[in-house]
Amino acid sequence: MSLHRRTGPLVWLAIVAITCLLLLLFQKILWLVVPFLVAMIIYYFLRPAAHRLVLRGFSNEAAAAITGGGFIVLLLLVAASLFPWLTAHAVSWQESLARYVEGGSLLLQRTLDALERQFAFLERASLSQNVSARIGEFTENFAQRHLADLLVTFATWLPSLLLAPFLAFFFLRDGRRFKKFLSRGVPNAYFERTLYLIHEVDKTARAYFQGLLSLTILDTLALALGLWAIGVSPPLFLGLVAAVLAWVPYVGSVLGCLLVVLVAATDFPTDPWMAYGAIMVFVFVRLLDDFVFMPLTIGRSLRIHPLLTVLMIFVGGAVAGVAGLMLVLPLLGVVMVVGETIGSVVTDPRLKARHAHAGQLRARQVGADLV
Amino acid sequence: MFLFSKDDDSPRLRQLRALSLFATLSPRELKTVDSLLHERSYLKDEIVFDEGEEGQALYIIISGRVLVCRQGQPETARIAELSPGMLFGDLALLDDAPRAAQVRAAENCTLAVFFRADFLGLLETHAVIASKIALQLARHMAQRLRETVAGVPQPLQ
Repeated sequence: MSLHRRTGPLVWLAIVAITCLLLLLFQKILWLVVPFLVAMIIYYFLRPAAHRLVLRGFSNEAAAAITGGGFIVLLLLVAASLFPWLTAHAVSWQESLARYVEGGSLLLQRTLDALERQFAFLERASLSQNVSARIGEFTENFAQRHLADLLVTFATWLPSLLLAPFLAFFFLRDGRRFKKFLSRGVPNAYFERTLYLIHEVDKTARAYFQGLLSLTILDTLALALGLWAIGVSPPLFLGLVAAVLAWVPYVGSVLGCLLVVLVAATDFPTDPWMAYGAIMVFVFVRLLDDFVFMPLTIGRSLRIHPLLTVLMIFVGGAVAGVAGLMLVLPLLGVVMVVGETIGSVVTDPRLKARHAHAGQLRARQVGADLV
Repeated sequence: MFLFSKDDDSPRLRQLRALSLFATLSPRELKTVDSLLHERSYLKDEIVFDEGEEGQALYIIISGRVLVCRQGQPETARIAELSPGMLFGDLALLDDAPRAAQVRAAENCTLAVFFRADFLGLLETHAVIASKIALQLARHMAQRLRETVAGVPQPLQ
């Protein structure tokens, strides 16, 4: 009776269907799912540090208190020092944003003008004029239309996001107890398999989130190196922002690229080749990410076929939008491990027979004096 | 919350120290091990695990007795009967080889379960505790080997 039996098509269909259902559900409770996800990222980020403290002789509780508490204090210190600076520079931030949007528009207009000169049908369609008018309309009314919504959304999300570090602390402190608590509710017949399942889910989640962090560092360094080589600044900051945005498949990458191009187009308004160079650097790093970094980090952790990965990203986007894009892979990884193991447990006739036998024994024992 | 766990000598720790596998651990080390152990109750005749099943954990009898037998053979053809303090399924701590025999409860019993992944984790985080347990496990196996050589009937691994 092996734990590693091959999963059949029915179980796989169930895994995909459950992943989609969970995405639909999670979309409704994003206020809880997102802080939970952020807490998981923080937890797996802090876990190696807590682990090192345990190795040095600290108890689990003390290690969790030091790393979790330390992280929360660090966040508070960063927030306390950044807040006055951010409010003091609010006006210049707004001006910079407008400048970067203008720089991007200018680059787009120049590119379209060049295309119109090359292709007469584009000129006849007044492509450049139309696109510029649309962009102008969008940027002019953006603040009026969306700023209030953005501020309300930010205010709604802030309290739940503040939960994330505290959740991470409790994950660090009580993760082991939670595992024991979960396994206590499992019947004896399925107990060993379930222990294995919980262990595998933890292993998969750990590999995924630690892989994601490694991927972010690799992406940041590669992008920073490329941007520094072509002279776009600040390379490390831009690389980091683009790498974090890339946590959201496709949409995040496009946003990251847009950001880098806007900066390059604004800082070098007379040299459009700088923006094209930034696009080339970005595309090159994306290719590196897809074919080298991702298989080395996240790909190995989830053991999902690349074709299924791509298909599920589309499905995730269609089912739950941007949130679906972001959640689909970790969710699929966890559902896959749980589904494969539950599939092998509930379809095991011997385990079912043992469970039924235990039930009969229990019924006989509690009713022994009722005859 | 204490920076380091406080030693104490609670009944639970005394119960654990009475088990041969943990006999050499200090109270603080016992507390660490206790946080990893799962406690399960089995009814008389309930199966703990089957022969051929992939082993994931070691079992220690806290109370009651268990029978070690060949699967599908009558109970009279038992290989061994184990009593409190004894352990079985110990090779599962080292590899995931199939169980060599079936184990069922001879009477209502309580077992402590030590999951292999937790033991492997212990080897990394608390090497001293893990090495003490591994030494006790090696002693237990050596004793069984001597008994096998001497022709004494053996429980399963």
